[in-house]
Amino acid sequence: MAAPASQRRWRAGPLWLALQLVLSGSLLLLFLLPIYALFTYAPLSRFVADANNPQTYYALWLTFYASGIAVLAAVLFAVPLGYLLARRSFPGRSVVEAVVALPVVIPHLMVGLGLFLLVIPGTPLYRWTTSLGIPIYDTIWGVVLVMVFVSAPYTVLASTLSFRAVDSRVLEAARSLGAGPATVFVMVTMPLALRGIVAGLLLTWARAVSEIGGILILAYAVYPGGPYNGPVTSTISVYVYDLFQLGDLADAAAVSSIFLLIAFALFLLVRLGERSGWLPWRRGELGP
Amino acid sequence: MTEWHVEGVESRLDHFRLGPIDLELRPGRAVAILGSSGAGKTTLLRTLAGFLPVRRGRIVRDGVDITDWQPEERGLGYVPQGLGLFAHRTVERNVRFPMELGYTPDANARTAALLERFHLTPLRHRYPARLSGGELQRVALARALAADPELIVWDEPWQALDVQARHELGLVLQELRETDRVPVVVVTHDPSLAFSIADTFLVLDQGTVRWQGDAAALIDHPTDPFAARFAGYENVYVRTDLEVDRTDPLALWLSDRAGDRGVAFARPVVAATPHDPPPWEGTVQTVRPTPEGVAVRLHAGGLLVAVQLERPWTGPLPTVGGRLRFRIDETTLHPLGGNLSRVGRGT
Repeated sequence: MAAPASQRRWRAGPLWLALQLVLSGSLLLLFLLPIYALFTYAPLSRFVADANNPQTYYALWLTFYASGIAVLAAVLFAVPLGYLLARRSFPGRSVVEAVVALPVVIPHLMVGLGLFLLVIPGTPLYRWTTSLGIPIYDTIWGVVLVMVFVSAPYTVLASTLSFRAVDSRVLEAARSLGAGPATVFVMVTMPLALRGIVAGLLLTWARAVSEIGGILILAYAVYPGGPYNGPVTSTISVYVYDLFQLGDLADAAAVSSIFLLIAFALFLLVRLGERSGWLPWRRGELGP
Repeated sequence: MTEWHVEGVESRLDHFRLGPIDLELRPGRAVAILGSSGAGKTTLLRTLAGFLPVRRGRIVRDGVDITDWQPEERGLGYVPQGLGLFAHRTVERNVRFPMELGYTPDANARTAALLERFHLTPLRHRYPARLSGGELQRVALARALAADPELIVWDEPWQALDVQARHELGLVLQELRETDRVPVVVVTHDPSLAFSIADTFLVLDQGTVRWQGDAAALIDHPTDPFAARFAGYENVYVRTDLEVDRTDPLALWLSDRAGDRGVAFARPVVAATPHDPPPWEGTVQTVRPTPEGVAVRLHAGGLLVAVQLERPWTGPLPTVGGRLRFRIDETTLHPLGGNLSRVGRGT
């Protein structure tokens, strides 16, 4: 006699559950163990020494400064492109979409090389940027340029999806209630799409701060110029890479841990802001 | 009080053509737009609301041609399918939205009054995601009224509502007509609610008007198969139904009396003890008790016929597979078709 459906499910359950736990658990371990290793390798005294080292300070500052500019650039350029791709149909849209995906698939060392070839002395871009007083090679602008190249696609993709997810009937209802197209965009479309766009910006920021391949070629050492006036430095990833190359494993691990602590704290702040409703973009989902 | 005239309006969405549509919307009147899916009901509402360009004809509001006005200038409360509520705003701020667009001196008082009228005051700090279907409908209506519309245009108001909520919304819409005197246009699939609030009906099929008239005319002269079914006729046969089997005497008899689009008739009442044997016979398919009496579906020749047993029914109830004789009163037949798209007193 066949067992009732509920019993059959219970019999198949434990094996299936165990398999799922083993498979996903392995992957989670892979994610967590290297971070554990980073945090536990260096003695506490090295953490203190590195946290007080001006070199660490300037590398961190440059990294957050440049990635901040890259996120602003994404807001300014990538969000409108996302809106365009979501709301307008035009000939060649699929080509534009393919171009947006390009930076994700190109190895980033080659991105750096390509940008380098564009801005070396003698090129039109070199003459134009130097005449404007914004040199690219080995400056913060070089770092920003690489960061925008590799990270802006995440904001374009996220905002395209978010704008597309806004029900056009909601927008029509808003129009009919007396709001013009610009008002509808500000009061309805943006608030409804904001959560997805912010998620895209967070991804963009995370991708920007972790970039090293392109920066190694275009801005290995960052000289003062543009908005950066400190001593010669490099991004945090390049700095850690240098320490590693010198065989200084303890400092490399300690500096990495300091950076990760700050990055985690920032993510946590954003999440808490969302949960508490202080940041507006998840209101309505979490509220009463 | 505003009067709207829709005069020979035609519009187009991709390859779909709508119109010409003629409608008069007077204060305190309600029009129900009927039709199957893809008939053009939503296209008509979006054209009225200004989201689709009018290709021909015009829309006149109190003598002013507003055909080319922007949606936000029309003074028309459009409630789309799905209601179009703002998920990021509380109930209160949804209702307040139209008043935030310009300077509204008594915005607080007016919002409070609307919330009170639609029993939303206790829910005012909630977000739409936390409301029931009936509550969402009331928010949508309160928000539409907050813009002081001259016309309410509502797509499928009763979608996904339980029986009680439908009943309540029907009362609210009736009150809207009688108290606020705002004309209402609703798209619906639900006959009982359409009859309870609308006084005029317009049946669309593939973008064209198949039937238009008032409730009495819809019952007495349906003239269109869809209109006949909507009015509650259970025996509706289009021409092709009648021509499947040319040797079937019932189909031939009906065919002789049908209009160019078919024929409709109400459930014939089967007498328990007829004076003379009724002419038609069928095999019982289903037997269903209803408040009006026992409804029986029969297979008669190639046609499925719904009949009703006389009350009180003295004999044994028919059994599935058994035979039952019935008579169709020729005077109850409604030929469908002809150039009768406008029947009755109109709007």
